[in-house]
Amino acid sequence: MSGTTLSAPLTAAFAIARRDLLEFVRDRRTLVVTLLLPMATYPILALATALGLRTATHEIEAHTAPATVQLGLSGPEAATLAGLLARMLEATPPDERSGWPADVALADVTEAEAGQLLDDGAIDLWIHARPGLVAELQANGTVRVPVQVSARRPAGANVRDQFLAVMRSLGRQAARARVSRAGLPATLLDPVEVDFEGDGDGGPPPPTQNVVSTLAGGVLVLLTVLTLTGAFYPAIDAIAGEKERGTIETLLIAPCRLGDVVFGKFLGVLAITLATLVANVASITATAAVAVRSLPQGIVATLPEGALALATVATVIAFAGMAALAAATCLAVTTASKSGKEAQNTLTPVILLVSAVAGTAMLPRAHGGPLLAAVPFAGQIIVARSALGTATESPATVAEVVATLAISLASSLTITWLLLRLTTHALADEDMLFRGPDVASGAFHRPERRARPNTVQAFLPLAAGFAGLWYAQGIVPADLVKAIPIQQVVAVLAPLAAMVWWQRVDPRETFALRRPAGTVAAGAAVFGGALIGAGMFFVGAAMLLAVRGGGISAEARQLSARLVALIQEQPLWLAWLLIAVVPAVCEELLFRGWVLAGLRGRPKAGSIPWTAIGVQAAAFALFHLLPERMPQTFALGLALGLLVVVTRSILPAIVCHLAHNSMPLVILGFAGDIPRLASMVEAGDTASAPLPGWLVAVAAAAVVAGIGLVAASLPRARPPTRSLTATPSRT
Amino acid sequence: MIDVRGLVKHYRASDGGIVRAVNGVSFQVGGGEMVGLLGANGAGKTTTLRMLATLLRPTAGTAAIAGCDVRDDPVGVRRRLGYVSATTGVPDRLSPREILASFGRLHGLHPAHLPGRVDRLLTELDLAGCADRPAGRLSSGQRQRVSLGRALIHDPPALILDEPTNALDVVGSRDLLVLLARLRAEGRAILLSTHRLHEIEARCDRFVIVHGGSVVATGTREALIGEWIPGHEGELEDAFFAAIGRPAAGGVVP
Repeated sequence: MSGTTLSAPLTAAFAIARRDLLEFVRDRRTLVVTLLLPMATYPILALATALGLRTATHEIEAHTAPATVQLGLSGPEAATLAGLLARMLEATPPDERSGWPADVALADVTEAEAGQLLDDGAIDLWIHARPGLVAELQANGTVRVPVQVSARRPAGANVRDQFLAVMRSLGRQAARARVSRAGLPATLLDPVEVDFEGDGDGGPPPPTQNVVSTLAGGVLVLLTVLTLTGAFYPAIDAIAGEKERGTIETLLIAPCRLGDVVFGKFLGVLAITLATLVANVASITATAAVAVRSLPQGIVATLPEGALALATVATVIAFAGMAALAAATCLAVTTASKSGKEAQNTLTPVILLVSAVAGTAMLPRAHGGPLLAAVPFAGQIIVARSALGTATESPATVAEVVATLAISLASSLTITWLLLRLTTHALADEDMLFRGPDVASGAFHRPERRARPNTVQAFLPLAAGFAGLWYAQGIVPADLVKAIPIQQVVAVLAPLAAMVWWQRVDPRETFALRRPAGTVAAGAAVFGGALIGAGMFFVGAAMLLAVRGGGISAEARQLSARLVALIQEQPLWLAWLLIAVVPAVCEELLFRGWVLAGLRGRPKAGSIPWTAIGVQAAAFALFHLLPERMPQTFALGLALGLLVVVTRSILPAIVCHLAHNSMPLVILGFAGDIPRLASMVEAGDTASAPLPGWLVAVAAAAVVAGIGLVAASLPRARPPTRSLTATPSRT
Repeated sequence: MIDVRGLVKHYRASDGGIVRAVNGVSFQVGGGEMVGLLGANGAGKTTTLRMLATLLRPTAGTAAIAGCDVRDDPVGVRRRLGYVSATTGVPDRLSPREILASFGRLHGLHPAHLPGRVDRLLTELDLAGCADRPAGRLSSGQRQRVSLGRALIHDPPALILDEPTNALDVVGSRDLLVLLARLRAEGRAILLSTHRLHEIEARCDRFVIVHGGSVVATGTREALIGEWIPGHEGELEDAFFAAIGRPAAGGVVP
């Protein structure tokens, strides 16, 4: 009996990848779905698109092509007008016939038969030349010429436009004659003459070229989805499938690190994903070559020489990064699943979500900066679009393409690495490995009564709150008096109430519903909190002004204007209730209550849970949606979180938040004589002048004094926090 | 070869409580010895074996395989241990030859020696006739032998089998146990758990009976019968029921 030597990490990984690939290749059905189906997708898509584009192009051509306009003339001056028109048609040089029909056929008709001729489509237009019409044209007035248009003729509105161009030329000729008669120079009618110089045609691309550009983007999104599909089945089979077949244990007792097993699994999934990608790209290329031939000429923009090669290379490299990302994402998502079916159920919504992220690359401003290239599943499309020049008017330079590609690739590989670490971590989790979906989905169980939520559950009301905010947009009235309570109920109170009931947590422990110990100390903590909140409002506003100046978004300005209107139009008590009291109570219960309690777990005497405080503050900042307010809100969230932790009570935090939110009312209600303050609130910080220095100093002093008061209120030695259960509650 | 001392495994239940699956288990298995780990469902057998196979991390206590501690040197343990359980499957779409070769590669066997090692194992396990057939088309007995071959590919000095005969018929069980006896004769330490006491009664050198996560009895068949059955006459099953505090069929707990 001789032991073998420890496998080198890559040897073990390659052995696992080789075994997985062999299994995958033997699975004909999955092989067909993953590799061959995309090969059929593109030709079908291209055929449908080409047919659609052809039809659209023919319709556009038929609509815009010059036609022969049949013009019927009746009335006593029909012959004179016909002569005038015929001379004008003959005398006008070709370069002045812009927008004209191919020809105008004049027909002498009677008034009685004209209607019937129009109805039959025998003529497009009919003019009844009344007595004096030609004389009026030669005088100095404006001649009204009623023109009847046939509803039958296919040229339709186009005939009207083309005939209008002819009549404008006739009018211009009459105008020249009038100017000449008046002894004025003919240049009076042409005060400006424009000469275009340079090689560019300067015109926008034809509408069909935009369609092709959008289609190219659409194909890239489709390529992303199919790349994900390439990783879908092998990833499900890689870990969840092994669990279902009972073969995962055999890998976990292999003489290598768990990370090597995961890396081997990843290599197997990546190989199949790359194969899918190659099959897709080959199918796209072949299909595009055929499709371009079948498309009408001129609607596909020709890339400069070399640009196509660069674009292809950039796209392939960016999408290879995406293949790695897709493989790692699918593996990470399916690791917790105990069977293929469960993994499929988990992975499908993730694929949909990722597809939606990929779709954002099609947004008009998605090519706006190189950093967008770092966005997973959208950045790769942005790189490809930028290299192909379908997102902008012209392809990006080589340096730009290389820079965005490097960012995209670095992002893909970093996220891939993080996801593989996560997968390794999840696979090492004994609960997930041996007790399966029950434990993996433990966050959704209704547990026994306990002190506080766990880490995962800490985020559930936030997710529900964001969803509530999103869906409530459509039903919340514009009137803030109604909107604020509805938003707070939908986004905060309802999810919280549901979670408290569902998770059977102790509200007192979870929301720190207790008074700081001792009457004097409680008063000091609460007053200190109020000073901190009020002071932070001004310090935060001063910093915002210093950093951003007048660069405030339209959304922020609009919100500010609505709040000012609310303060000015409603009774002060109602405005205070809506702007300060309701948000302070609701948001504190959510963020410093539920979220913080879940994230920090069981309180430990003398230790500050900085990570939990930081994460809840970040969530608090995100919850306020406006990017420019996020740093200020984050800082406030940190202060409020610390207040709850050190005082073990939510009361000082509520008062702090209340004081912070009350400041706009104080400014508008009682400090209107400080013009900068009033304008700051009223104009939504559009002015860039800083706050008065003395005010910032007073505010900073208030913050310091508040911190001092809170610190003084704390007991020297605190007893350990009571828990409702004997076991650690951070489960 | 297998040395278990005060092994403990607690885990948290979904309701937040603590489940004490294994609560201070100790026993040893020497080279050339086959020991049966006996216990009812939920007694802690599988959890103990999984800790020995480094699939679970012990809460407390120590365990070593051929001198390698399961906690400090899990890779060393895996190099010296073959592990098979009734639930351990084999990939349906691969043949026994491919399965053994893939695990040989995973264990770092030299490519030049791998085919020979695989062929030898296939012959020893009586799988030569179906070596290139997809495992999904093999019988339960053949699949279990493939699983055993997979555990033996790196020629480990210790072998752990968790209820290896569960899915097998009488013939399959007997063949497997005969094979295990041969492996024991080669000097390997073999630890196996099973519910089927009558199958292993005459084949194991010693038995360890666990109940409620603790070892309640240990010894040879004769020693257990002598200790737990009044009059010292009966079957191992009677001693087992007596040790776990349950009456055997028609009997009473002494």
